[in-house]
Amino acid sequence: MSFFKERNCYLKNYNLSLTDKMKKFNYRYAALICLVVFIGIGILYSAGNGHFSPWADRQFMRFLLSFVLFYVVSLINLRFWMKYAYWIYTAGILLLIGVSLFGHVGMGAQRWLNLGMINVQPSEVMKIALVIALARYFHGSSPADIRSWQHLAPPLLLMLWPVLFIIAQPDLGTALMLVFVTGALLFVVGVQLWKFLLVFVLGGISMPILWFFMHDYQKQRVLTFLNPESDPLGTGYHIIQSKITLGSGGLFGKGFMESTQSRLSFLPEKQTDFIFTLFSEEFGFLGSCTLIALFFGIIIYGFLIAARCHNFFGKLLAIGLTVNFALYVFINIGMVSGLLPVVGVPLPLISYGGTAMLTLFIGFGLIEAVDINREMVIGRSGSIEDE
Amino acid sequence: MSSPWVYEKERVLSNRLLGLAGIFFLFGFILIGRLFYLQIICGDLYLKMADRNRISVRLTAPKRGYIYDRNGVKLAENKTSFQAVLIREETEDYQKTLQNIQKLLPLDEDELARIQKEIKQKRAFMPVRIKNGLTFEEAALIQVNAPDLRGIQIEEEVSRYYPLKELTAHVTGYVSFMTEKDVKNEWDAGLLDLPGYRIGRIGAEEAYESFLRGRPGIRKTEVNAYGRSVRVLEEHKAQKGNNITLTIDSRLQKAAFEALGDESGSVIVLDIHTGDILALVSTPAFDANIFTAPIPKKVWNELIQNEKNPLQNKAINGVYSPGSIFKLVVALAGLESGHITKERTVYCPGRIQIGQQYFHCWKHAGHGALTLEEALMHSCDVYFYQLAQEIGADKILSVARRLGLGQKADIGLTGEKEGLLPSKEWKRQTQKENWRIGDTLNLSIGQGYLNATPLQLVYAVAVIANGGYRFDPHLLIAEGSDIIPLKQPLFKKEHLDLVRSGMNMVVNRAGGTGYKARFDLNGQKMAGKTASTQVRRITMKERKSGVISQDKLPWKYRDHAMFAAFAPTDNPRFAVIAAVEHGGGGAKKAAPIASAVLQETLRLYPADSYDQENEQAFISALVRQLGVAK
Repeated sequence: MSFFKERNCYLKNYNLSLTDKMKKFNYRYAALICLVVFIGIGILYSAGNGHFSPWADRQFMRFLLSFVLFYVVSLINLRFWMKYAYWIYTAGILLLIGVSLFGHVGMGAQRWLNLGMINVQPSEVMKIALVIALARYFHGSSPADIRSWQHLAPPLLLMLWPVLFIIAQPDLGTALMLVFVTGALLFVVGVQLWKFLLVFVLGGISMPILWFFMHDYQKQRVLTFLNPESDPLGTGYHIIQSKITLGSGGLFGKGFMESTQSRLSFLPEKQTDFIFTLFSEEFGFLGSCTLIALFFGIIIYGFLIAARCHNFFGKLLAIGLTVNFALYVFINIGMVSGLLPVVGVPLPLISYGGTAMLTLFIGFGLIEAVDINREMVIGRSGSIEDE
Repeated sequence: MSSPWVYEKERVLSNRLLGLAGIFFLFGFILIGRLFYLQIICGDLYLKMADRNRISVRLTAPKRGYIYDRNGVKLAENKTSFQAVLIREETEDYQKTLQNIQKLLPLDEDELARIQKEIKQKRAFMPVRIKNGLTFEEAALIQVNAPDLRGIQIEEEVSRYYPLKELTAHVTGYVSFMTEKDVKNEWDAGLLDLPGYRIGRIGAEEAYESFLRGRPGIRKTEVNAYGRSVRVLEEHKAQKGNNITLTIDSRLQKAAFEALGDESGSVIVLDIHTGDILALVSTPAFDANIFTAPIPKKVWNELIQNEKNPLQNKAINGVYSPGSIFKLVVALAGLESGHITKERTVYCPGRIQIGQQYFHCWKHAGHGALTLEEALMHSCDVYFYQLAQEIGADKILSVARRLGLGQKADIGLTGEKEGLLPSKEWKRQTQKENWRIGDTLNLSIGQGYLNATPLQLVYAVAVIANGGYRFDPHLLIAEGSDIIPLKQPLFKKEHLDLVRSGMNMVVNRAGGTGYKARFDLNGQKMAGKTASTQVRRITMKERKSGVISQDKLPWKYRDHAMFAAFAPTDNPRFAVIAAVEHGGGGAKKAAPIASAVLQETLRLYPADSYDQENEQAFISALVRQLGVAK
C-alpha cells in the first residue's frame, strides 16, 4: 500500500456528521431544480386539459419520491461512490444484459426490466453508473497519463460496452448521450484536442457504415428529419405539427391552458417528448427563453459546484452528471424544433415519465453530495485515506 | 505537500470546463435562435397553420325559395322528410340497436349490409344513414321509442317538391345535384361539398336560381386531429331564398295541358298588354319530382327514347316553319308597301307558274278572286305568291323582324331558340346560292328556310292584336307588369285592323279555315290563323294522283298543325298559340286546342274584373316574395 501512500497528495481526515451535511446542503440548487419540476407539473396540468389526472398528479408523486431519494443520496459519503464505482458500473452492465434477455418490449424497443415492484430501465441507470466509473478512473490520472493512448483505452471500453447493449435495444438517443458524456469528460480532463478532431474525421467517414447498421425506423427518422414535408401525414407528421405548435406560440404565447394544437390532439406525445412545444405554444418565445435560462441556471450551477470542489472525483462526477442533464435539454429542444432528428429523448424534469425523473434526481443528489463534500480530499487510489 | 501535476491537472480542468461552458452557451444560443426563427419570424405563418389545423369552415345549405303561380298556388316547394341515422359511439351495442330499429323500420338485406359496412368504415362519431324519406309519423315513432334505440337520431331532410308535377315541369324546371361543372365561384365550391345540395336545372328553377338559392350559412367549428367537431366558434344561419311568383296561371296551364292531350305539342297564352305568360305548356311532359332523387335508368331511358321528346320544351325550343301564320306578316308588308288595298282582289287559279316551276295553292281547284281578308280567311297561297312577287322578300323580312321573328323573345328560360329569318345575304353566305324568286314565294307562305318557335309566333300575333306595340314577354310577375308602350306603334292602325279582320273571318265566317273552332262567350269571340306546315315534299306524281290524306301518313310525316289566335276580337287581351307536331291540319288539330284554352282564359278573366285582378295578383306576389305569407 505504500506505493499508493507515496503518491497521495492530500491526506486529511474528513468525516462530516449528518447535521453538518444538512447544513452544507445547497438549498438554492435544490430550489432551482424544484422550480423547474413545478413548471413541468403545471404544463402537465395543461396537457391534461386542466386536470391533474392523468399526468400532473402522478408526476407530482414521482417528484416526491425522487426528492426523497435526492436528499438521501446527497447525504451519502462521496467516498462510498468512489469505493464502489466499478461495482455499480458492473451492476449496470448486468442489468443491461438482463434486459436484453428478459426485458419488456415497449414502443419497438427492449428497454424495461421488471424487478418485482418497479420497472427499471437499465440504460438510465447506466447514464449515472458510467459517469461514476469514469470519474473514478480519471480521479487519479496524471496529465502525462491522460496524454497517453493506453490510458484512454479503459475508459473508452467502459463506454463501449453499455453503448453496444443500448444500441442493440435499440435506443440510439441514450447511446449517443453516453458517447457525448464520455467525450465531455475526456475533454475536461485534458485529452488533447487533436484527438477529438481525429475522432470527428473518423466519425464522418464511418457515417455511411453506421447508416448500414441502422434499423429501418431509425433511417426513416433521419430521412424525415432531413425533409419532413415529404410525408406530412406519415412519419413527417410529428416534426411538422411540432414546428406548428412551437411557431404558433409567437412572442407571448396563447396563454396557459389556451393551447389549441395539443388540446385538439394535433400534437402527438404532448405529455412526454414533445412537451416543450406545448410550453412554448402557451408561453411563447419569452416563456421558452425563460425556461431555457432556468435550465442553464442548473447547468452553470453544476459547473460551479464542480469548480469549487477540491477533489477530482467530485469535480468529474458533477461535470459528467451536469453534461448528461444538459444533453437532455439540447437534444430534446433541438429535436422538437426540427434541428435534430427525433430520437426519443425527453425534456428533463418536465416530460412525464418516472424513470428519467428518478435517475435525474439521483444524479442531482450526487452533485449535491459533491458540493457537501467539496472540501474532502480523496486519495488517488480511491481508498478512504485518513492520516 | 501535493505533487505539482495536481495543480496542472486542476488548471487544465478549469480551462476545459470554461471551454465546455462556452460550447454549451453556443448551443443555448443556437436553440434560442431557432426558437426566435420559429416563433417570431415564422410565428404568424405557424399560427395560420395551427388555425387551419383546428378550424373547419363549413357551409350550411340555404332553403330554396318557393315558386308560386300568379294566384299563389305553389308550383315548387320544399318538403321536409326525415332520415334516421346511427351514431356508433352513442350506442351501447350497435348490433342491438340495429335489431331494435328493425322492429320499427323493416330493412332489406342489401341495406343492412351497407349499414354494417358503413358502421365499420366510418369513425365512431360519424352518422351512418339507416333509412331516409321517413314520414313525420315514422320519425315520431322512433322518437317515442328512443330509450330502446340508443344512438339513433332523426335528421331533417329537405327535398324539392312540385305539387303540379307534369303540368308545370317545363315552366318550373327541376333541381338536381350540383356537379363540378356548376361551380362558378368560391361560394359554389363550398356548396359542392354539402351533401345533397341541389341547384336549378332548366325552367324557372334555373332562370331565377339567384333569387331562389338564398345565402348559405357559415359554420366555423373547432375540430381536433381526428376531425371531430369540438365546439362551434362562429355561426351564421343560412338565409332562405326568395319566393318568386310566376305569371303562370296554373288553372290555364291545366286547361292547356288537357287540351293538348296525348299530342306532342305546345300551348302559350300571352297577355298582349302586360307581356305576362299565363300558360306555357309543352307535351308530353315529365314529372319534375323524379329528378330530385337519382333517376332510375329505366325511367331515364324511357324519357330520352320517347319520339315525342318529353324533355324538350317545345314552346320555346321547338322550331317550325310558321306556314300560313306567316301570311299575316306578308299581308302587313303588302299593306305597308301600298301594293294592296282592302278592295283589291287577286285571282287564284289553283297554281301559278314561275319560269318552269309551278307553285300550287293548297286548294287544287283554286279560290277564284279574293280580297286580302278573304285570302287570309281561306289561307289562299296564290294570293300571297302574287303579293310577295310584287313587294319582294326584303319588305316581308323587315316586317317579320319588327314582329319579333328571327330573334329571341328572351323570357329567360334556357333552350329558347332564335328561329331563322333568312335573307338574301344569309342565303349567299350559308347556302352559297343566290336568292331566287322561288325562295320569295316559299317565304310568302311561311315555308322554306324560315322557321320560328311557337313563342315567336304568338308574340307576333300579340303585337298585331295589341295595336302594334312591342313588349317583353316574361314569366316573373314582378318583372314589370306595366306596359312599356312605344310612342309610335310599329304599324298603322288601319293595316292592323284589316289583318285582324281577316283573322276574325278565319274563325267567325262560314268557310274560314278555323270556322269549326269558333265560340261565342257572352259576345267574346276569337280571331286566329291556321297553319299546316309540310315536313315532306309533295311530289308531282302524288299531286296528280291526289295528295295522300294526313290520316294515312305515318305520324312522323304528317304536317305540323298550328293555330295562333287572339281574343276577344273587339278588344283583344290575350294571344294564344297551339302547335301540334305532326298534328295533320292546323284547322283540325290545333284550332280546337287554342279555342278551348282561350275560352278558359276568357272565363277566368272576364273583361271587367281583369285589371283589378291583375293588380291584386301583383300585390300578393310582392307579399309572397318578401316571404310574409308562407
